[in-house]
Amino acid sequence: MTPRQIGLHLGGLIVLIGLLAGWYWQSTGARAVPALTGSLKSDDAKVRIAAAQALAEIGPVAKAAVPDLLNQALHDPVLYAGTTAAGALRRIDLVAARQVMTAYLPALNNEDVQKRRDACAMLEGLGPVAKPAVPALSNALNDTNETVRMQAAGALGEIGIPASLVIRGLAKALQDPAPTVRHRALTQFAFSIPPTEAVVPLLKQLLEDKDRSITTLAQVALNSPLRQAKDRTAVYVTILQMGSVNDYTLRQLAQFGLEAAGTVPAVIPVLKHDRPLFRYLAAEVLGAIGPGAEGAVPALIAALQDQDIVVRDSVAEALEAIGTPEAHQAVTTHRRIDGSK
Amino acid sequence: MTALHHPRTLTRITVTLYWGCIVFGLTLPGIVTVAHDSYRRHGAWAEAIQDFRLHLFAPGYNLFLVGVLNAIPFVLLAVFLLFHLGTAATQDPAIVSRRLLGVAGAVAVAVGLSAWAHLGTTLYPDAQGALVYLFLPIYLLVLIPLGYGCGRLIGKVARGERERS
Repeated sequence: MTPRQIGLHLGGLIVLIGLLAGWYWQSTGARAVPALTGSLKSDDAKVRIAAAQALAEIGPVAKAAVPDLLNQALHDPVLYAGTTAAGALRRIDLVAARQVMTAYLPALNNEDVQKRRDACAMLEGLGPVAKPAVPALSNALNDTNETVRMQAAGALGEIGIPASLVIRGLAKALQDPAPTVRHRALTQFAFSIPPTEAVVPLLKQLLEDKDRSITTLAQVALNSPLRQAKDRTAVYVTILQMGSVNDYTLRQLAQFGLEAAGTVPAVIPVLKHDRPLFRYLAAEVLGAIGPGAEGAVPALIAALQDQDIVVRDSVAEALEAIGTPEAHQAVTTHRRIDGSK
Repeated sequence: MTALHHPRTLTRITVTLYWGCIVFGLTLPGIVTVAHDSYRRHGAWAEAIQDFRLHLFAPGYNLFLVGVLNAIPFVLLAVFLLFHLGTAATQDPAIVSRRLLGVAGAVAVAVGLSAWAHLGTTLYPDAQGALVYLFLPIYLLVLIPLGYGCGRLIGKVARGERERS
């Protein structure tokens, strides 16, 4: 081969690499939003689900997709397509996610069992953003239908905050007569909700359960690092300091409450994160810590100007929980201004 | 000089191997995914291809990046063989044979190992399976030169046998 021929083939390879890079660039990030929004209108549920998942990954810059995601969350005939849309909304637009919550809350009391199950699944999809639905979901643990109770326990675990209400609800579900409900509640304590000392006797009782999978899971929950580690917050602080903020980490810290007081310096910068979900959860962590998060008051007061009303409300609640005169003053002023808007 | 050593034939072989390596490296993970998916759906190729397309850039799948990762050692092999075989035509036919055998060994190792790894990951998926996609290019970069060496060695042994007989 001549040097020219070799050069041409190498050039061809460079062109191919360039085309592939262009294709990748065009298909990811904000550039992909118009095509993905179009896919939300597909007749194929699989396409709608994949599009919603991809939009969730893109985050707040996919705001243009919110109306279609909202439509999918509220009206899609395929439940999983609806829950993935709800999951995407919580990462893109908290106000829209709360709209979904408000739309599904009444369905928890619907006569139709299927509608009650769907409502639980949708609230689970919304995760911590559906915090105001926790009391209603706790009531759903008294439902006559076993599957509704099981899904309500799953939703409570996924929402995770406020920890006291969630743990009370899940503790009740641990004593449910149906093994599927007990199993679902136990899964939360084994893998995502730190079991409190009040829950431990219930977990120990379940070591004697007739269902073998429940006894195994109870053992896992009792041995859970979420319960046993000496400094349970240390790993999450490291994660935040490394800059790898994620909703799981923040939700865990919100569940530790006052115990997470040492994490305040690591949580404060998250109040300025570009993802509203993380800002919201950061405020929830500080609110759960309460007076121990006094050092975060100036940052929280600044966060009262957040562009997202759900974040602002959460910040105001956090300031009230911290309860210093300065915090109270800021909340009163904020409520007056926000109310007049 | 045999037909194989004719400059035009050698150029054709080199170009085919060069682009074949690149395209194969890039598409092998996709081919395995689509074939396996289609087999699971009892031959529904269209659905399998649509699923593949959906997951090309989807979080948690990223089949495009899997293809690119797999292609890295193949691209390096392609560039190597382009120079190695492309400049061999002007040399001694014995050198051409030796280089061809070496490249054949390297290609066989790359194709075999990559196909085996992707088939294994697809047929027996587990939580850590995706790590294969990260480590496979590294293993290939180490084993491709070994494959080349084996090819040359086989050629040498065969030549020795021929000379003895």
